Parts: sequence; structure tokens; C-alpha cells
Amino acid sequence: MTNIDLFILDGLITAGYFAILALSLNIEYGYSGLIDFGKAAFFALGAYTSAILTTNGFPAPLAVLMAMAVAGLGGLAISIPAIRVRSDYLAIITLVFAETIRVILKNESWLAGGVLGIRGIPPMIDLRSISYDTHLIGQAVFVLILFTIFATAGWLLTNSPFGRILRAIREDELASSVYGKNNTAAKAVVFGVASAMAGAAGSFYSQYVGFVSPDLLILAITLQIWIMSILGGPATILGGLAGALLVTSISRGTRILKDFLNLPLDANNLMFILTGALLVLVVTFKPTGILKEGRVRSVRR
Amino acid sequence: MLDGEAVLETRNVSLSFGGLKAVDDVSLRVDRSKIFGLIGPNGSGKTSLFNLITGVYRPASGRIIFEGRDITGLQPHQIYRLGIVRSFQFPRVFFRMTLLDNLIFAARGQLGDNPLIAVFMRWRFQRQERQLIDRALEILEKLGLAGYAERYPSELSGGQLKLLELGRALMAEPKLLLLDEPAAGVSPILVSKIFETISFFRDVTGLTVFVIEHRLNVVEEFTDWIYVMHRGHLYLSGTPSQVLADKRLMSIYVAEERVVDET
Repeated sequence: MTNIDLFILDGLITAGYFAILALSLNIEYGYSGLIDFGKAAFFALGAYTSAILTTNGFPAPLAVLMAMAVAGLGGLAISIPAIRVRSDYLAIITLVFAETIRVILKNESWLAGGVLGIRGIPPMIDLRSISYDTHLIGQAVFVLILFTIFATAGWLLTNSPFGRILRAIREDELASSVYGKNNTAAKAVVFGVASAMAGAAGSFYSQYVGFVSPDLLILAITLQIWIMSILGGPATILGGLAGALLVTSISRGTRILKDFLNLPLDANNLMFILTGALLVLVVTFKPTGILKEGRVRSVRR
Repeated sequence: MLDGEAVLETRNVSLSFGGLKAVDDVSLRVDRSKIFGLIGPNGSGKTSLFNLITGVYRPASGRIIFEGRDITGLQPHQIYRLGIVRSFQFPRVFFRMTLLDNLIFAARGQLGDNPLIAVFMRWRFQRQERQLIDRALEILEKLGLAGYAERYPSELSGGQLKLLELGRALMAEPKLLLLDEPAAGVSPILVSKIFETISFFRDVTGLTVFVIEHRLNVVEEFTDWIYVMHRGHLYLSGTPSQVLADKRLMSIYVAEERVVDET
């Protein structure tokens, strides 16, 4: 494979991990209406937990489980303020939560390497002994399998009576509780499950790229996941994947383009312009995103 | 006089918003398998009383007893589980769910409300779900909304939204149904349909209903007992014929008018 092929393949793999993150945001925001601006924090919690364990000789599957547990517990913690506040207040609380974790990880270098992060994380599936091309293809297949598993779980969760509770919380919490639903418990489940999902994505991603650093937690990562979710359709399962592929193809595409065309402006800036323009267009002309929310498919009929 | 079996009792219940006493020392009872009416001018505390009974607000003082059990301070979803269900004055249906899902949502004891069953043991709730679909379709049929089962509430008229709100409440199989102006802003034909449906459930399933309604002719025709609220107080009570014949009833409405005129 040429370098560009490898670059595109790497982009697809990255898009796969971001699709899982966007999926977890869709369950929180798209279906349940809970705004989470701390998505990157749960991603990074998973990545760091897994990185610390694998570099200390723990087996990768255990590291993944622990990453999900730590991120999931973080999600439960965030659901406590979500019981009382909604929308913009919840957005601020989750944002502050993410920033707090980022600052701690950055400054407490004894904990996780500080600004340098952790390097030398072994990949879970290592095919480098065959060839690097095979290794990357293996990674791509692996992330596709992971996304399929999480998407199936997300589909089952949202297309059920429980999924109706999520939609009800999004639309009218009072009506939901008057009709016997325990909104508090449902929100805790949503944040717990979605954060564990983000943690798993973080864990697998760290094993793919081989290192973690506090740059994983910056707000730009969270916002990128939000853009993916909004573009693809927040209240959908596959919208996250569509959004991730779109955003990634813009960011990678502009960089490839710059090798073939004499661009009048920096490729990085072009990426921002194109992503922003696309976001404006979608929000204006298709506010529900590229894919549309379907009805609750609880039984076959 | 009231001689039935009390299902709901409020004992000296009060609620204040700042300096305003929305509900002031209200004691009343609602008897089993009867339709009890609640009337009174705007702002007299009727909806606030419903909010107290359903746990949306907590009373500043007083007790609320349901089937001999003190339910004061319980959460709305806990009160629902005991069998009290309400409809809202301004329909609070879920606009991004189909009518069928709006109804099924309200059904009690759904196994699939548990996320673990929702993901890992779908067959356990799907059997129940099929029965709920049939029951929801029956209710929609009775309300003349069967054709809209797979559509969204945004396609309904205001009156039909009221019917949907009623249907959702009936789907919850309440022991006590609180209806907050179920027929306000609804065409006269639909008004009788709504109240005939309520009477049908009272007679067939022994449903107890506590209903806020403004139209005195409707109240007279369909209710078994009336309470009148005025400025947060329980002002009058009695059978429809007694209350409607009482001169004090008109005086509160007329007095309100006069206050409005003078300001």
C-alpha cells in the first residue's frame, strides 16, 4: 500500500473509534436530551486506565473491562447533578468535570506521566510480525467489529420500553415521572452506559495508537464528537458513524488534497472552513441530521 | 351526604408560592367508583391541588391519604405505582413518539423498563409488549384515534390531543384518575365523548375519577359530587344539584368579574 492508502486506512480506523464515541453521545443527547460536554473526559479516563494497566503488565481484556468500569463510574458521578439540572447547567458541569480531570492528569506526573502521557502501550491484536499493511487492515476489521457490537447494544437499548423512557425524559420529564418512570435511575443508567462505552473506545484507541496524553481530553475532541453527532443525526444509532466518516474525510481529505493542489490557504484552515460550512448547512436545511430518528422498534410488526 | 368508601383524602393540605397561598387548608375526600368534580374560578388552586396529590409539589402542611396509606411526600412515580394517574390541562404528550408509543409508555409493570431486560432478554418484554399494543389500539379505537396509531401527535388537532392525553391516562389502568380540564377547548361533540368514556370506565371497571371542569352543564350531567374551590379554600361541596342551586356559587364567579372590571 502507498503512504496515502495507509493514511486513509488510519483515518478510517480513527473514524471508527470516534463513531463509537458519537454513538455514546447520541444515547445521552440524541435520545435522552442530556447534554454532555465532558465526552472527551470519559474517553480519556478509559484510555488512561487501560494504559496504566497494560504498561504494568496486566492483560489487555482486563484493561478494557477496568477502563469501562472507571469511565462508567465517572458517568454515574456525572448523573448526580443531572438529576437536578438540565441543558445549559448540565453542559457546564460536564465541561468542568472534563477540565478538572485534564488538569489533574496534566499536572500530577507521578500518576500518568503528566504532559508526556504514557507511551509504549502494546496493541491488543498485533499483526506487525506479518506486515504493517496486514496489521492496519486487522485493526480496521477490529474497530468495525467493535462498532457493530456497541451499535447493536445501543439499538437494543433505545428500541425498547427503556428507550421510550429515554425519549420521554428528553421531551417532558414531568410527564415521564407522573407516568411512573424513575427518571433519576434512567439518567444514571444512560450516563453510566454511555460513559463506559466511551471508556471502552478510549481503551481500544490507546491500544491502537500506542500512547495517551492529556491532549486526548481537550475540549476540541469533545466538540468534534458533537459535530459528528449533529451532522449524522443525534437520535440515531448509525448517525454517529456517518458523522465520524464525514468529519474525518474532511480533515484527512484536505491534508491529502494539499499534496496535489496548490491550495491558496493552509490545509488545516480549509478543514475548519469546510467542517463549519457543512455544519451550518446541515443545521439549516436538515436540522435533525443526515439520518432521521425512527419510531421505537420494540417488537417486529 | 357522602356515604361511600373514601379512596383519597386530603387533610388540612396547604401550599404556598411565596406569599400566595395557592392551596389553603383543604380537606376533602373522593369515594370509590364515583366521578367527583372540582370547579372554581381561574387561580383558585385546583391544579395546584392536583399537583399536591400526584407528588409534583410537597404540601407545606397537611396529609394526603390514598387507600388508607399516607402518601404525603412520595415522588410522582411512586404515587403512580400506587394507582393515581393524572392528565394535564395542557397536553404534555411526547411529540416525537407515535400515538401508540405514547399510550404504551403509560402502561404499568413493563418488564422492558429495565435496561438489562431491554438488551439481553428481549423475549421477556416482547410478549407483554404485543398485549400492550392490542390494548392501546383498543383505547385508541374507543377514542376515535385508531387511524393515527402510527402517526405523531403533531398531526392531531387540539381536541384530539386532549383525547390522547385521556387515552394515555386510561392506559395506565388507574384506581384513581385525576383529570385536569379534559374537555377545555374541545368541541361539544368531543366533550360528551370524553365524559361518556370516563363514565363507561367508572361503570365497567369501577374507576374513581376526580375531574376539574368548568362547564356547569357537563358537571351537572356527569359528576356524582362537586367541590368548589375559591382562592385556595374549599368553598362549597355537595351533590351537583345542591351546589348549582347554591347562590354562593354564582357570587364567587360574579365577584371575580367585578374585581376584573374595577381594575
